[in-house]
Amino acid sequence: MMFLRRVPRRLIQLTCFVGAVVLIWPVLPWSIAPRLLQQLSPFVVLSSSIAARSIGVGTILALIVAVVSSFKKRWFCLYLCPTGFLLENTNHAGLRRTSWWSKCPPIGKYVATLTLAGAVFGYPVLLWMDPLCIFSSPFAVNKATNPVSVFLVSLGLGVLVGATFVFGMLWCVRICPLSGLQDMLFSMRKALWTRIAASALARALAVRFLGGRSFSSDVRLVRITGALAPEVRAAASASKFNVARRVFFAGAGGALLAVWARRAGAARYRKSDTLLRPPGAVPEDRFGGLCIRCNNCVHACPTKIIHPDTGHEAGLAGFGAPVIKFDRDYKYCLETCNACTQVCPTGALTALALEQKNKYIIGEALVDNNVCLTALGKKECDACEVACPYDAVKITWDEEQYNAYPVVNDKCIGCGACEVVCPTTPVKAIRVWTLKPS
Amino acid sequence: MRSSIAAGGLFAAGSLMPVSSAQANQAGGQSTTQGVHETENRVPATIAGDKVVQPRRELPVLQKTSILVVGGGPAGTAAAFCAKRMGVDVTLVERYGYLGGLATGGLVLGIFPLYDRDKKQVIFGVGEELMKKLDVLKYGIIDRNKAPIYPTIDAEAFKYVLADMVLDSGITTYLDCWGVDAIVDGKGAVRGAVFESKSGRQAILADIVIDCSGDGDIYAAAGAAFEKVKTNIGLISRIGNIDEVDMAIGRGSEDPEHPATGKPSEGRPSKGRVNDFNGHAGNSTPAPHMNWLNMRGPVGDALDITDLTSMELKHRRGTWGNVEKLRQKPGNEQVFLAETAPQLGVRLSRLLDGVKKLTAQEIRSGAKFKDVIGYSGAYANAPEFQIPYGSLVPAKVENVLAAGRCISAEFEVADITRLIPVCWVTGQAAGLAAALCIQDKCKPRNVSVTKLQNLLKEQGAYLG
Repeated sequence: MMFLRRVPRRLIQLTCFVGAVVLIWPVLPWSIAPRLLQQLSPFVVLSSSIAARSIGVGTILALIVAVVSSFKKRWFCLYLCPTGFLLENTNHAGLRRTSWWSKCPPIGKYVATLTLAGAVFGYPVLLWMDPLCIFSSPFAVNKATNPVSVFLVSLGLGVLVGATFVFGMLWCVRICPLSGLQDMLFSMRKALWTRIAASALARALAVRFLGGRSFSSDVRLVRITGALAPEVRAAASASKFNVARRVFFAGAGGALLAVWARRAGAARYRKSDTLLRPPGAVPEDRFGGLCIRCNNCVHACPTKIIHPDTGHEAGLAGFGAPVIKFDRDYKYCLETCNACTQVCPTGALTALALEQKNKYIIGEALVDNNVCLTALGKKECDACEVACPYDAVKITWDEEQYNAYPVVNDKCIGCGACEVVCPTTPVKAIRVWTLKPS
Repeated sequence: MRSSIAAGGLFAAGSLMPVSSAQANQAGGQSTTQGVHETENRVPATIAGDKVVQPRRELPVLQKTSILVVGGGPAGTAAAFCAKRMGVDVTLVERYGYLGGLATGGLVLGIFPLYDRDKKQVIFGVGEELMKKLDVLKYGIIDRNKAPIYPTIDAEAFKYVLADMVLDSGITTYLDCWGVDAIVDGKGAVRGAVFESKSGRQAILADIVIDCSGDGDIYAAAGAAFEKVKTNIGLISRIGNIDEVDMAIGRGSEDPEHPATGKPSEGRPSKGRVNDFNGHAGNSTPAPHMNWLNMRGPVGDALDITDLTSMELKHRRGTWGNVEKLRQKPGNEQVFLAETAPQLGVRLSRLLDGVKKLTAQEIRSGAKFKDVIGYSGAYANAPEFQIPYGSLVPAKVENVLAAGRCISAEFEVADITRLIPVCWVTGQAAGLAAALCIQDKCKPRNVSVTKLQNLLKEQGAYLG
């Protein structure tokens, strides 16, 4: 009997696992497919919708998951979650020698609370802990151009698999914010349900025994309903204070972290010269929070110019978030492509149509005339002028200086076409710099 | 030329040093012709009403030749040498007093698009021969076979090499002789060209004329259709004592093996037009302590004498000013302006409407041609590309071929084919094609492409 009950679950899990891989690996002709996976997660959708103050069509999927999960405890974890499937099997193969963590508090709940509170302040602090993001991250490995990128994209899932192998289901049971949120939804639904059921019963009893008198003022009826809803009573009395306190502290912590992270992000942006985000990126103060490090954009980029940041560009708060680097031969942000903006599940990269993307300013190209071959009179080079898809670079003759320079006009969006063709080495004479308000 | 010296034409109308030569004559007793009173035996231009009219007159025929090459720059000298090698009678006419055109008088010392994208040399043939002659000269050429760094030649060394080759080759050469008109027969076919020089207006009759004038003066005069383009006109200069500046620090370098050692000068550059310029520095040349310095210049009409004059003057003033600015930078105090180029850096003027107009689309897509006569190396964003023979042949006019910067190509393409080594390629092909016309008694457009390609290969040209 147990066997029969377990086999279909395994089958469903396996199917969902394969489905998740198909979604992330863009086998489907549908460019937005990868983001559908993360948008199954109510944690991601709820937090990002609150943070971005907008609700997209993709919310529907998460809503369904949320509703079902609130009725069937950890239904998502047990059946749909590809990370859960992977970790469950790792656990079976693993050491399972220790279960010290079973006494661990339900961290996932606090992570979820913290993140939701942060989201209210525009910065969903720990959104990157979503298991679906962690699952999709390593799939960008085929677009990784260096060992550091390989390490970064595989870090999350690697840690989870490793930890599960050694410690068992610590992550799934205690830490995962998605399961924490599911638990919260479940108990909220249950409490609500019991209350509704109790009040309906009470109303029926009141009509029967008390002739329609309001039940709430009747001490006896309160006792009756109380007896009918032991869960409500238990929740209300047993650890009422503790839970409330923890939720309060998590919420307050999330809010403080969000405010701090946004200030830090804005400061970082003011200071940075080389920080370039993919097209459609929300302002830097919120980007580090909204971005969940799912690496969908890294995976989507055909020219492999999007890399997970090592922290070099945007510090610890921006660790693993995507940055653009024009460090490969002749590869720049193509004027024919908007793939990265289409796959972001949280709106950290706004979905942009191609024409909109070609107007999004990634950065600004600036020329160092003490390196430029034309300005130095070394060579008749107009590589940047020829390469620019937006007609933004003109080699201009300056009668006063009696010299010619590449001059960049306002049409420049920082696609990097000029930088990658610039023949000087090791420093490019024309480079894309972080956009500064003029 | 010899005859004109014998007739005393060279010094007759006022020697540069009449007094000293007279003294030398008295002292040494050497015989020079002097004091012969003459009048020019021709009718000057007159005024008829409000118009200036040149009376109809017969022109003396200076020379009858099989192949006439107009212009002694990279394309013209390559064409003349290669045609002469085929045992054909060749006459070369050059406007300036030296050979080499922009490669010497223009100080375009960089031999630019020699390599394909894989840093393999794709231009050989006569260009490679010339560079080999420079190889053996001290201070003749540097940075040979160091792709992607282009070689740089010395102008005087190259003048010497060309003079040496012309003197030994038996090519009849006229310098200081400006091709001004085409001679066209009743059927519209070119039969020679008219020249102005100190000897006056003279005609050279030829079976085939190769127009290497750069501006396409001869084919234009003969009535061939062309596209007129205007682009930047600069003036190259050479500056001395520049090697006291460490060129490797913070400056651009194209050589990955010898990258600049420093950081860029100012970190984040300022936006738009900037004044943080540390001064021109140019590129090193074979001559020690000497850099050559390119100038882009403003856009001008290379066929308009007002534009040309204004640029000649302003460019020399501007160059002097820039060198003064450079001298104000610490470490550059001893930098001096060695010379400005005798010739303006005219890039493009006329582009022939040929049998085949080479398009930018074709060179980007790596088009292959059946009548390929050579390659241009990769340059800026363009990959290496084939040059078809059809680009040298005018669409309509007979007996004339174009070589050098004025061949039939779209502007973007011509902006590469105008460069020195590509001019060698088109010059060599035009010279050999003209020689084949003489040998096979055919028109340039009917030349056997197979024969031409075999000849090119025999002479070491690279056809892919």
